[in-house]
Amino acid sequence: MIRSTVVLAFLSAVMAMPTGLARASDAGAPAPKRFTFGAEVVASVATDDPGYFNDTSYGQSAMRLARVRVDAALRLGGRAALLAEGRADNGEGLTVAALYLRLRPLPDRPLDIQVGRIPPVFGASGRRGYGADNPLIGSPLAYQYLTSLRADSLPASADDLLAMRGRGWRTRYSIGSSVWDRGLPVIAGDRWDTGVEVRIGREPVSLAAAVSQGTLSDPRVRDDNAGKQVSGRLEVRPSLGLIVGASASRGEYLSRDAGRSLPADRHRDSYRQQGFGVDMEYSRGYWVLRSETVLSRWAIPQVQHPLLTDSLAAWGTFVEARYKIRPGLFTALRVDHLDFSRISGTLFEGRPTSWDAPVSRVEAGAGYSVRRNLLVKLAVQRNWRTGVTIGARESVAGAQALLWF
Amino acid sequence: MVRFRGALLFILVVVAATSRLRLPDAPVARAAVAGTLRGRVEILREKVTERRPSIGDLGMPGRRDLPDQRVAVVYLETAPRGAFEDRPGPTVVLDQKNENFVPHILAITVGTSVEFLNSDRTYHNVFSLSKANSFDLGRYPPGRAKAVRFDHPGIVRVFCEIHSHMNAFILVFAHRHFAVTNAQGEYRIDGVPPGTYTVSVWHPSFTVKSETVKIPEQGGEVDVSFVLS
Repeated sequence: MIRSTVVLAFLSAVMAMPTGLARASDAGAPAPKRFTFGAEVVASVATDDPGYFNDTSYGQSAMRLARVRVDAALRLGGRAALLAEGRADNGEGLTVAALYLRLRPLPDRPLDIQVGRIPPVFGASGRRGYGADNPLIGSPLAYQYLTSLRADSLPASADDLLAMRGRGWRTRYSIGSSVWDRGLPVIAGDRWDTGVEVRIGREPVSLAAAVSQGTLSDPRVRDDNAGKQVSGRLEVRPSLGLIVGASASRGEYLSRDAGRSLPADRHRDSYRQQGFGVDMEYSRGYWVLRSETVLSRWAIPQVQHPLLTDSLAAWGTFVEARYKIRPGLFTALRVDHLDFSRISGTLFEGRPTSWDAPVSRVEAGAGYSVRRNLLVKLAVQRNWRTGVTIGARESVAGAQALLWF
Repeated sequence: MVRFRGALLFILVVVAATSRLRLPDAPVARAAVAGTLRGRVEILREKVTERRPSIGDLGMPGRRDLPDQRVAVVYLETAPRGAFEDRPGPTVVLDQKNENFVPHILAITVGTSVEFLNSDRTYHNVFSLSKANSFDLGRYPPGRAKAVRFDHPGIVRVFCEIHSHMNAFILVFAHRHFAVTNAQGEYRIDGVPPGTYTVSVWHPSFTVKSETVKIPEQGGEVDVSFVLS
């Protein structure tokens, strides 16, 4: 109660501060609007994806998505703003993808605080929300591909886990929820977490840190395990056009219900997901190059033999390039790989085997701006899943139209 | 016979050249004193082009200037003969300062080159998808300028690919009888030969308004003012 009173008092004080940002260079020029909004309509079609390579944690395919998205910002004086994003995907109801208060408590100081359902501090791709920021149709594997691991259902042994290799789109285990459901991505790129974040600095160096409810894989509005995630990011812009970032995170990922289902002698308080990432963007002339590498580790309980003796790791790397051929026309390529640490069970003749099937993807495409705010993209994807017999490889072709205001 | 053919060819060439120069409904410039069109454009409602909400940012977006929305362009719809003959082809500068194109509206004649100077501390990527004058200058650093020559008349909408809120208008005229209003909304078009003209005002937020005016034989100043609301 005292804590909430202090927070309220702090927010009230910030709101009462005089405006510092409302400014225009010329006297008499119009002042910034108090309320601004933007909208984006995305329609994607694609050939069949029987191997579920493009399924997301929202249960949709990144290549077959019809999305209406509305962003709004309400300026509350010069040092605060309320921001929100509503989405309706594939004709389903409206969801609030973002809703947070942005504060700049000290005038003209690069210190920002955001509270609510906030953009992720970790990595770079998760904050590129607008469709035009993605030169292709698909998403990077680390931000989209569903692994066979879940937060609410746990494998009792190494064999349990190995039996689900390459089946992240529909998986279940013997501990916790027995319902078939989707696995976790390394990072849920399409969902944002709820909490508080602080950014200090802007250019050339900035540091951001956040405390939030969920984890990289499973951002949450409501907490489901009484554990918090701490994440941070250091971003450096050593020269024009070059952005280099390093991120880290640590948070409890196992749901309370799954934890309760563990045998009492195997129950531990803390099953964490830890993440490390480096990212880079370089742009010049008609080129934009991006690359990101993410490493994630999930602590896993040891319940039955053959035991899962170590934490489970996954690492994803992609390199992406976009080149503008002529006004309005560009081409793009992304080379992407997601790999997993080895475990040993009785399956696969007892050989050390990756706990999920490694995946590779090459996506090539082109985009043409019919108008400045109407973009049409075409893309072709080739996907490989190693060490599985079903859904080992497939090609997906897609088209996307994107209109924004 | 050869001489006759040569004479006929000469006549045809002269006729063709003369007819090409003649403009429909263009008032004929006589040996008279050129006049001046002057007046004021009053803009009662200003529309601010704001950036889209920066939902994915980790803090307040950087400060930027807002485009001056009080500027309009006044021009003759039908230009007098001779107006098309002098194409100066100079170079003018369209600056990029505080994530804003300065000026927001530029009026030039066909053949003019525009230098897009980057006076910010970040990259800019100026482009236009306007059919007659499309271009993309790519990303270039502060202190540098890249030039584009505009060879076709029309309205060219200019944007920055990196900063989606940045926009400007370049009005490319086939003649020289136009003026951009100043900070007080005033304009002045000199050297208009006597005749009857349609004078129009253009502003990005309003439909074009037109008036018919007559420049008398003895020249002088004719006042035409507009109110945009």
